[in-house]
Amino acid sequence: MHFSKSLLSAALLLAAGVAEAASSWSFDDATVAVVSKKAGDGLKEKLNAKKPLSKPVTIGSSDTIKITLTAKDNGSGKRPHQAFVVLKDVDSGLEAPFPLTTKDTGKAVGQISQKEIPVQLLLATKPLQASIVIGSFGSAHGLNTHLFDLTVQLDPNAPAPSTEKTLRYAKQPEIHHIFKADPKNPPKIISLVFALAVVATVPALFLGWFSLGANLDHLTTALGKAPLSHTAFLGSIVAMEFVFFLYYSTWNLFQVLPVVGLVGAVTVLSGTKALGEVQARRLAGQR
Amino acid sequence: MKSFLSFSLLLLATLVSAISSTGDRLLAVLDDVAEKATYSKFLGDLESRGFKITYETPKSESLSLFRLGERKYDHVIFFPTKAKGLGPNLTPNLLVQFLNQKGNILLTLSSEVPAATSLVSLLTELDITLPSDRTGLVVDHFNHDVLSAADAHDVLLLPVPRPARPDVADLFASGAPADTPIAFPRGAGVLLGAGPLLTPIVRAPATAYLYNPKEQAEVLAADELFGAGAQLALVAGMQARNSARLAVVGSAEMLSDKWFDAKVTKVGEKKEVPTYNREVAKRVAGWAFQETGVLKVNWVEHRLNEAGPGANVSNPAMYRIKNDVTYKISLSQWDWDKWTGFTVPANDDLQLEFSMLSPFHRLHLAVDAAHSSPEATAYTASFKLPDQHGIFNFKVNYKRPFLTNIEEKNTVSVRHMAHDEWPRSYVISGAWPWIAGIGATITAWLAFVAVWMFSKPADARVVLKKTQ
Repeated sequence: MHFSKSLLSAALLLAAGVAEAASSWSFDDATVAVVSKKAGDGLKEKLNAKKPLSKPVTIGSSDTIKITLTAKDNGSGKRPHQAFVVLKDVDSGLEAPFPLTTKDTGKAVGQISQKEIPVQLLLATKPLQASIVIGSFGSAHGLNTHLFDLTVQLDPNAPAPSTEKTLRYAKQPEIHHIFKADPKNPPKIISLVFALAVVATVPALFLGWFSLGANLDHLTTALGKAPLSHTAFLGSIVAMEFVFFLYYSTWNLFQVLPVVGLVGAVTVLSGTKALGEVQARRLAGQR
Repeated sequence: MKSFLSFSLLLLATLVSAISSTGDRLLAVLDDVAEKATYSKFLGDLESRGFKITYETPKSESLSLFRLGERKYDHVIFFPTKAKGLGPNLTPNLLVQFLNQKGNILLTLSSEVPAATSLVSLLTELDITLPSDRTGLVVDHFNHDVLSAADAHDVLLLPVPRPARPDVADLFASGAPADTPIAFPRGAGVLLGAGPLLTPIVRAPATAYLYNPKEQAEVLAADELFGAGAQLALVAGMQARNSARLAVVGSAEMLSDKWFDAKVTKVGEKKEVPTYNREVAKRVAGWAFQETGVLKVNWVEHRLNEAGPGANVSNPAMYRIKNDVTYKISLSQWDWDKWTGFTVPANDDLQLEFSMLSPFHRLHLAVDAAHSSPEATAYTASFKLPDQHGIFNFKVNYKRPFLTNIEEKNTVSVRHMAHDEWPRSYVISGAWPWIAGIGATITAWLAFVAVWMFSKPADARVVLKKTQ
């Protein structure tokens, strides 16, 4: 839109320059000056409606730019109703108008200090585009033309101005949950080696026992003296281990408990007799 | 029996007045009821769309927005009135209450009549600012109608209102011819606050500005400029959190018969073109009175996306961490007189959040054609629940300019793994030495019992030593 508008104003300028048919607004004696509190007057440049300044004007943190011009309707000085200097951020398209103070003769003066420039424009990355808009009622064509570029130099000692991002209803960035890493296992070969080492302790233990003279020689005498209680006692201890295995593989606690009670009772009842027989052998000096 | 009768009557009523999605009772507030002839086409369009219009003046004693605490009207349209106040029946408080009860307001301004204080206060409440003297005239020396305002420049010609952002629904300009202007005669502009509920529909061109024709006709002092350029909203919309809508039209004249048929010519052109005012008036009023951009949720379904016993249960109350789930939501959009499937605007996205306090997932919802119909579009997303147990929400929070706010929340519990849902220890290779350890202990224990009970003393000397 802006492009077409500038095209339009260019076309209007051209038409005014060539044909002089319709009256149109223009300006004369236009200057832009940078007034600095510290260093006094700085840069001062003449402005031209046909061509913007080639170099950007720089405004420091305590500086003021002063724009003066004489607005003319068809060549004679006249006060326009609208005489705005518009600063524009080229990237975002944001604009800030600064009206000039006009007099009957068409003389217009305006001052822009850095404080007055909106923060959004101060933070622009590219130089601001300053243009002049002169227009009024009646048949004269208005003038809207680019004057110069404005570079904002922020105070390096003061914190940079910042704006809070205004809330706008729009889509938000996607979020994907980051899951905790799965637990890891050591290499299987290591687990296998250590499992075999553990299993190997059993034959080692048996070898140790047999080398110290462990044997099962009294098995026949014991079974002869108390066959039922020894079978039941040994059987109940094996059965208890089997119940624990079932608990590990399929059963739940409520299936396990009654069976454990049953097997435990068998162990206690048969154990008294079986261990009594063992004690009898010990008292007889056979252990 | 009586309730059945009233229910069928209600059904009949909704069938007959299938126009606005929320109701057809429209109140028009005018200075003088005879003034409605000025807007006969605009009001006639509304009536032909099914609205039942009641005309009142602010002075009327029978005028009341509420009856027994309920709204008497679904929508109100204010035309400019000369009186400074609007009387005790239209105080700003009552108007805000009307919005709170989901009533919609279309408010028109004019540069010739200052806005009523009641309306100014209402707008201030909504962070919409009018000039301090309650009126102003927007002029543009570059974009005016040469035929009717060659000198005054107060009839602006504006392009059809395209969305300000690429992801906003195009309710006002879609299908419009490319080069048709809107005439904005002798209107005022407003400044909008920074809130997300306010959206400009038509902005002023960059070279337009507002001034007070009584005090600033000759000179516009540099420090008295109210607003200029795109910061001035000529037509603006506000949608409250409850989706009640308020539209401000800066120029009431824009809605008049005269400008519906007018031909206009842009600066620098000779061609006379018809205005687009009738269509824009229809669309702005249609938006304000809930005829377009109205969304509704038909149904929401979430379920387990895994084989197993829970796979066929719809909307279960509980999931387990790391479950795969599917979420579906069906949305419809009211399009003037019927429900249609809602299509998300280009560049925009319908998003699902899975959140406990803050979102753990925020995912794109894709169109699910298999569950869509001409009246409703289904959107779906499948994902794995986070590895965190707790109370979570499936949340679709779709708030966009011009569209009804949608905030759909479904709460579910996410439990942790039960003790028998973990892999068995023999599957875990790191557990093998420990399992082997248990086996070795059991074997050794059984062997020890046998040896302890049945071992015969190996050596007689040991026995001798003991007896000594």
